[in-house]
Amino acid sequence: MKDYYNDTFLPKVNKIGKITGYLGVALSFVPAIVLIVVYGILPKGAALLAAFIAGASAFGVLWFVEPISYYPVVGTAGTYMAFLSGNISNMRIPAASMAQVSAGVDAGTEKGSIVATIGMAVSIIINVSVLTIGAILGTSVLAMLPATVTTALGYLLPALFGALLVQFGMKMVKHSLIMILFAFVLYMGIGMGFFLWLPGSSNWLGTLGCVFVSILIGLLTYKNAEKKEA
Amino acid sequence: MDVMQMANSLPMWIACGIPVCLVIVQACLFLKSSLTAGKEVGLEKAQLNAAIKSSAVTSIGPSIVVLSGMLSLLVTMGGPVGWMRLSMIGSVMFEGLAAGIGTQQVGVTLGTDPMTGEAYAMALWTMILCSIGWVIFATFSANKMDKIQTKLSGGSTGKLMTIASCAIIGVFSSMCAQHLAKPVYQIIQSVDPQVLAGSYKNALACILGAVIMFVLNTIANKKDIKWLKEWALTITIVAAMVITAVV
Repeated sequence: MKDYYNDTFLPKVNKIGKITGYLGVALSFVPAIVLIVVYGILPKGAALLAAFIAGASAFGVLWFVEPISYYPVVGTAGTYMAFLSGNISNMRIPAASMAQVSAGVDAGTEKGSIVATIGMAVSIIINVSVLTIGAILGTSVLAMLPATVTTALGYLLPALFGALLVQFGMKMVKHSLIMILFAFVLYMGIGMGFFLWLPGSSNWLGTLGCVFVSILIGLLTYKNAEKKEA
Repeated sequence: MDVMQMANSLPMWIACGIPVCLVIVQACLFLKSSLTAGKEVGLEKAQLNAAIKSSAVTSIGPSIVVLSGMLSLLVTMGGPVGWMRLSMIGSVMFEGLAAGIGTQQVGVTLGTDPMTGEAYAMALWTMILCSIGWVIFATFSANKMDKIQTKLSGGSTGKLMTIASCAIIGVFSSMCAQHLAKPVYQIIQSVDPQVLAGSYKNALACILGAVIMFVLNTIANKKDIKWLKEWALTITIVAAMVITAVV
């Protein structure tokens, strides 16, 4: 039987992902190059190196930890897209997960990963369109948003996260309760500065720890369930 | 030439438009191949349409949040750069921090001191150099992690599904706990009451989101109300936002 997913879809995804990903890295320098060519402004090497080292010590761990933490959620195509476009936990993952829910497919299956890819691509198109409209309207119009609206907007993400935890947690209630308890303790520790000895700001520990502890618990209970059946 | 005039000039709009176009092109290429693949593996047209619709609806709210965050970046870095940075590898928090680190090296505090040409260039270069690490590692490792995951699961569908659904719960537990733990450790550290009030509200929004979603989902499932299933998330978010803001 012809395996379309593994023989056609995945190779295609890898080809598109690699080309656009590396091209994206190169093209992100275009504004900086225009600054040199058109306006003749080039920052001093020493200052830039100092800034890069400061930035790398703050974010460097995230460059590696985030793609690894989010891979089990977003999959291969999702990894290519999510990291070129950013806004991963606040938009790409919610959109991909809700796409799977409405299409009625399971995460972790071939259909699930195809639907998640659709969801993420759509969310990028919406996201960039909204930002483009906003950038064209400019600060004058954006500044007209009343303060109450901007304050209320600040509560959108926490509400979204709470709602999505319930959406996906209702299928695995016990597991989710253990996880939210674990996550709470972990973030208490991070907030109290117990992990400051770790490189970078220790914030990256939260998501990484939660994702992999959750997977570990899931796999252990899965094994036990298998044993009982056997 | 005035720095902000330069930051909002036509050459900068064009230069920033090129990477933004690439992001869109990539999304369209993936959308096209995943729609084709969806049909090949036997997904119905109705399922694909439902996926498109719900991901679009889910993205609108967060997009507006990002837009309102873009405001500060528009003021400090100009329209084109703010637009590009948040369309590409962006997150409002990272961009602000990176820009600040860049300008600091030449003695300009972002948002307080007037922007100089040199500081503007420093901010731009720092944002770019500090963000490509994500794209390079993700692009390099995406297909390799696929192999690792397949090996770890032994190709078992049940295990792969368990990994994926547990990972999702892990991500959202982490995001919720971040908001829930904050007011608690801030009490212990006795921070500024105004800061604490903000953290309380975020935690409240998170709890309201969870509770309202639970109620709506339970009703929708028990009585099998299709439209409520579709709109539960949107209703929940709007209600939680408004209640939190009014309280």
